[in-house]
Amino acid sequence: MRRGIQSEMIRSELEEVVGEAFISTRESDKLVYSTDWSWMPQMWLDRGERLATPDYIVHPASAEEISQIMKIANSYHIPVVPWGGGSGSQGGALPTYGGILVDTKRMNKIIEIDEKSLTVTAEAGIIGTQLEWALNEKGLTLPHYAASSNCATLGGYLAPRGTGTISTKYGKAEDMVLSMEVVLPNGSVIQTPQVPQHAAGPDFFRLFLGAEGTFGIITKATMQVDYLPETRLLRALLFDDLSKALEAGRLMMTRRLNPMVIRLYDPDSTVSRVRRILGYELEGAYMVLGFDGDEDLAALQEKKAREICRELDAQDLGREPGEKWWNHRYDFYYPPQSLKLPWMYGTTETITTYDKIENLYWSEKRAVEEEFADWNVSFIGHFSHWFHWGVMLYSRFIIEEPPEDAEAALRLHNRVWDTAMTAVMENGGMINEHHGVGLKLARYMRRQYGDAWPFLETLKNAIDPNGIMNPGKVGFGV
Amino acid sequence: MQIENPMATTENCRYCLMCRHTCPVGHVTRKETLSPHGWGLTIASLKRGVLPWDEEAADVIYSCADCGNCRSHCVTDQPLPTAIAAARAELVEKDLAPAIVYEIDAALQKWGNPYEEQAPQSVTAQGDVALFVGDEAHYVWPSALEAALTLLGAVGVEPVLIGVGRNNGYLASSLGLPETAAALARQTLEELEEAGATRLLLLSAGDYYTFSQLLDERLGISWPEEVELLEFVPYLLEKLDADLLSFAPVEDGMPTAYVDPTHSVRVDGRDEAPRKLLSAVISSPTRELFWREERAHPCGNLALQFTQPDIADHLTFARLDDARQRGAKRVVTEDPGCLAHLQRHAGRFGLEVQGLYELLAAQLSDDSR
Repeated sequence: MRRGIQSEMIRSELEEVVGEAFISTRESDKLVYSTDWSWMPQMWLDRGERLATPDYIVHPASAEEISQIMKIANSYHIPVVPWGGGSGSQGGALPTYGGILVDTKRMNKIIEIDEKSLTVTAEAGIIGTQLEWALNEKGLTLPHYAASSNCATLGGYLAPRGTGTISTKYGKAEDMVLSMEVVLPNGSVIQTPQVPQHAAGPDFFRLFLGAEGTFGIITKATMQVDYLPETRLLRALLFDDLSKALEAGRLMMTRRLNPMVIRLYDPDSTVSRVRRILGYELEGAYMVLGFDGDEDLAALQEKKAREICRELDAQDLGREPGEKWWNHRYDFYYPPQSLKLPWMYGTTETITTYDKIENLYWSEKRAVEEEFADWNVSFIGHFSHWFHWGVMLYSRFIIEEPPEDAEAALRLHNRVWDTAMTAVMENGGMINEHHGVGLKLARYMRRQYGDAWPFLETLKNAIDPNGIMNPGKVGFGV
Repeated sequence: MQIENPMATTENCRYCLMCRHTCPVGHVTRKETLSPHGWGLTIASLKRGVLPWDEEAADVIYSCADCGNCRSHCVTDQPLPTAIAAARAELVEKDLAPAIVYEIDAALQKWGNPYEEQAPQSVTAQGDVALFVGDEAHYVWPSALEAALTLLGAVGVEPVLIGVGRNNGYLASSLGLPETAAALARQTLEELEEAGATRLLLLSAGDYYTFSQLLDERLGISWPEEVELLEFVPYLLEKLDADLLSFAPVEDGMPTAYVDPTHSVRVDGRDEAPRKLLSAVISSPTRELFWREERAHPCGNLALQFTQPDIADHLTFARLDDARQRGAKRVVTEDPGCLAHLQRHAGRFGLEVQGLYELLAAQLSDDSR
């Protein structure tokens, strides 16, 4: 924190840009903006410790205002931390080095809904569910149904390359975006090409997807939307063998049956999370299967999927448990039903190809459970985002009685993550699929990328020579 | 049942962001601190000693609208507004609440309302049906009461008026003044007993919420089982459906939007009745606001109008702007306080404000009069 005269000078310059009502240095605001949805800062605060806080919280109303903020930050070499909904689970929005925290939620306008091309253009600070409500009124949907949609912003969907519940059919947020407006660290406001599929040079627009604000701030996006489906067919199946369940999912995907959702819970999740939230006393691998669209097409796809499952000895539980899951799919994230403090937990989600996924799951589970058996750790997971070539594993560890001391708890948390990430990388997995890198995974990026990492660092240094953008995140500046 | 240790709910809300999209204050301010999660975390941090109990904390905690949107969208029904009211009570005890809170407390204790230095009128009659008037219908929008009495007369009901000029207790509760709130509520119950009524008609969703839920949960006062609470809007619809009322439709063609009143999200299953009544008197199709029904945002007639008038005004602006964007030229609602706040700013938005009861009473067909 720059104190005294210089701090006041910076504040007055920022105030000139956004207006007095839209800048804060109050302690209460600093505290609220010092934590996002990740375990580390929440635990830290809960143990009565203070976190690093932003020096200034600003609420700009336009890309032009953000551009001016960037110029001020560059002239004083102050960090700029973009903030959307604060719903990141890896510490991507933490103001680790103080500086200017840019809350984008005033930039929430829907600029255009094009009902012919099926696109929506909106400012990046709009909250996901509010955008969805507006689209629904026109019979449309942005099929990025993230668990965080009630709080995350459009920019927050894109910056960490988020994935939603029905990504198996509709893709990740990054697959839905056509173009973006971005404010670069030097203050330039750029617009990426109108469409992503072209051959007019390299696809630089994807640099900002997954950069988590380290390359600039996304201020506007045009997204592809869909018609609300005529029908959604949900059902649940139970496999006594996880291996067969994974094979069923693989066959559905490689045969292009186009399910909107295949949610496969491992047996440990079935007896814990599924039992607690949905109330089913089942044992085995619980699979929710969903198809949507035109009724006849969805029914035919579902019929073929059921045949695959039947051949792999699945028990068809019928529609009710599938529909119940659909209607309560976000209940898993409401306290006190969600994983919550004082427990220790982490989502070590990963992705790999079908040939490796089962081995990866067992390797990670075995490594974590054996290494931290003294802490009575539990390791659960579900497979929820399926591709033609592989699937994402949403793995989680839980320790119900972690150390009370904040530093000891953090050290243990890091050790579990190290064990999990080592198992992931040694078995061909990526360190994440959709939660972003943030602060928590930053230290694994060099290892994940190997020889390619210096190339990424070169890009970062060229785009942000003063290193002002979200320092310490995504592995830059670590 | 009274919620014991309400502030404990902040342990569930402090890091939960799942109702962010519904919070009207968060929507108009766009500030993280002024959202359910922000209030939960602020209170939890005060309890842990991470933040000091001071005027800044009071400013944050008195910025919540106490509208119930967060709770109505919470899958696990966390009573965060009640926790915030409890935190405000602690601020009051510590002498840290905004000065206006103490002034209103004195007014409520002496006059039963924050608007006029005048004591509530006493009950002078007895009857099976009573109507709670309250302070807003008495002082800030009296035409709603006159119209309601006309409509009741049309169905042959002459209610005993109770609570004439007295707040229902919500305002005091919301400001963190539970003892004052309880005293006001008890006075209503005493009047009700004196009137001998077994049915109590309520002009607004806010009155219905207060008597059916708030008294019990926040103040530990049980509503007498023998007295049925009837919100006036569904009561009128029942009479319309039974052909006891009929209306001559307004044919002016003016685009009209219905504004769900403050606290409507706290009352289950009420969305349809006012719309049906409105369609009985407005011949052209009505416009729907974006923030409607289960996601309806309040007008500024909350405790917020005294502690954070700027935010309260912005809530009202947002309702009016919503209507304007939907192409409406006229907004209709029934809540007297809501009407007063809408009326105050409607001109800026090119809108005309009309009370639902007044509209219905004016359009009563000859055979209903």
